[in-house]
Amino acid sequence: MTVIFQLISGRKLATLGLFWLLLILACAVFAPLIAPFDPLEIDPVSRLSEPGGSYLFGTDHFGRDTLSRCIYGARMALIIGLGSVTISLVFGGLIGMISAYFTRVGMVLMRVVDVAMAFPALLMALVLMTLFERSVFNTILVIGIVYTTTTARILYGMVLKLKSEVFIDAARCSGAGHTSILFRHILPNLISPLLVQASFIFAFAQLQAAALDFLGLGLPPEIPSWGNMLSESRIYVTRAPWLLIYPGILIILSVFSMNLVGDAARDSIDPRFKDDIAGV
Amino acid sequence: MALLEVKNLSIQIGNRPVVQNVSFALQPGDTLGIVGESGCGKSITSLAIMGLLQETVVRITAGEILFEGRDLLSLDARNRRALMGSEIAMIFQEPMTSLNPVYRVGDQVIEAVRQHRTCSKKEAREKARQLFELVKIPDPERRLESYPHQLSGGLRQRVMIAMALSGDPALLIADEPTTALDVTVQSQILDLLKELQDKRGMAVMLISHDLGVISENCQSVIVMYRGRIVEASDSESLFRMPLHPYTFGLLKSLPDVSSEVETLEAIPGRVPGLDEDIPGCAFHPRCAFVQPDCRELAPEIAVHGRRQVSCHHPVVEYLL
Repeated sequence: MTVIFQLISGRKLATLGLFWLLLILACAVFAPLIAPFDPLEIDPVSRLSEPGGSYLFGTDHFGRDTLSRCIYGARMALIIGLGSVTISLVFGGLIGMISAYFTRVGMVLMRVVDVAMAFPALLMALVLMTLFERSVFNTILVIGIVYTTTTARILYGMVLKLKSEVFIDAARCSGAGHTSILFRHILPNLISPLLVQASFIFAFAQLQAAALDFLGLGLPPEIPSWGNMLSESRIYVTRAPWLLIYPGILIILSVFSMNLVGDAARDSIDPRFKDDIAGV
Repeated sequence: MALLEVKNLSIQIGNRPVVQNVSFALQPGDTLGIVGESGCGKSITSLAIMGLLQETVVRITAGEILFEGRDLLSLDARNRRALMGSEIAMIFQEPMTSLNPVYRVGDQVIEAVRQHRTCSKKEAREKARQLFELVKIPDPERRLESYPHQLSGGLRQRVMIAMALSGDPALLIADEPTTALDVTVQSQILDLLKELQDKRGMAVMLISHDLGVISENCQSVIVMYRGRIVEASDSESLFRMPLHPYTFGLLKSLPDVSSEVETLEAIPGRVPGLDEDIPGCAFHPRCAFVQPDCRELAPEIAVHGRRQVSCHHPVVEYLL
């Protein structure tokens, strides 16, 4: 609780962002309870009906309720975000740390990362997606892999700097081995940059997933995700603009909120930002 | 048997020698001072003893480092690590950067304690508290919970010393332990080191460019210049009568409170860069007593009674 309080104290935008994310989280968790309709239920009679009445956000070309689909879409957003953040932080983190710590291994590993980074993220995701079937897991995996490279690159630089710090020498002097130095002395110094990186990856993963969905290479079309909704809406954009507007706004607000909260987390988690400095 | 014996140690960075043919010995419980300007090789010698040299860039080309008769350079990494902290410990110049900024200092000391013995967290914490008391940190219970940035320089250095002592080392290498501290704190820390040394019978290798620090704390002194030992002596005779012109110059450049003179004496010139090739004695371009043979032939280290000096014309010749 105190952590959250510290995080939001004095940061109005971040507080708003946090509330928005909590709302999305609640939607994701309690989707079946909140959603007024089954997101897959087809009602041909009221297809493409305007927002208002019993369909608050209107309906799509199959007569499915847009509001319910948006609520279930939050689920997908959360799963994709968490999944790709986990994959990229774990693998990117390991690659970056090991490369920087064992320079010989790093010479090889970082060249592989360089090559992978030479491709634009979306292009690489597209290429990888064509190799796999469309599924939730594969989408997460592909986005995770794409952001593994940036994470590795960022951590590589940080560990290079950290490992030449005197306190690492001091740890070595007290007899600490490589594993202990890497995970007990270096890793804790990386927590705050990792958190910020996580928030950015979470945000970018949303955009990336939406882009993949839009191009028809992301999640299977029957799954209600914001990206899939955008993709389906483009044919009806003049007749039923709400199909585009609602998921679009959701994506934008979520990405923006995640960035705000990530920045706030970075500032508050670092002990150097705390201000009770004692004298002699 | 000497606790630490360094024999003919030579170290190169790339192809440039930075330490050449350095030998010295340290008896258990003694204090050895190493003096010299920046870049004379004193720190790199201590890093070599600790095994902290970056092996890709810095190479030990010759010599032995014997600790209790065992050659550290031929030990494998695991056995060598076992000595670090428990037999040999080190404290560094800048106490801010030598503590991990994201851990409470108590946790860092506890970690160091647990590195060398198996004990519960609680026992380790108690031991850490005792160490804090030993190094005279006021209110140790509360200070265990502090982050490094919340402590002053003097307190941080005390924490570093507590960490270094956690494994009960027989040898403590102190690389300019007081350079980053102001003068009053400096003397407190040095007194503390001395007291701990007497209490525990620990040998100390004190590296400094401050002759005052060395004269008060060391039994024997080594003066280094450009990677070589130019003079080795017991501290008393060295300060009474330096033999090497470099030591002579260093002593003359000490500020004297009682004198009326406003300008400080200095050794002319600067320490030559590592890439400069100097024929003959490396000090001759700056030497006040330079002779023709100094420019041609590098002097070997020669024994003068209980002292050693590497000079063709030790200062004593001129004084007689």
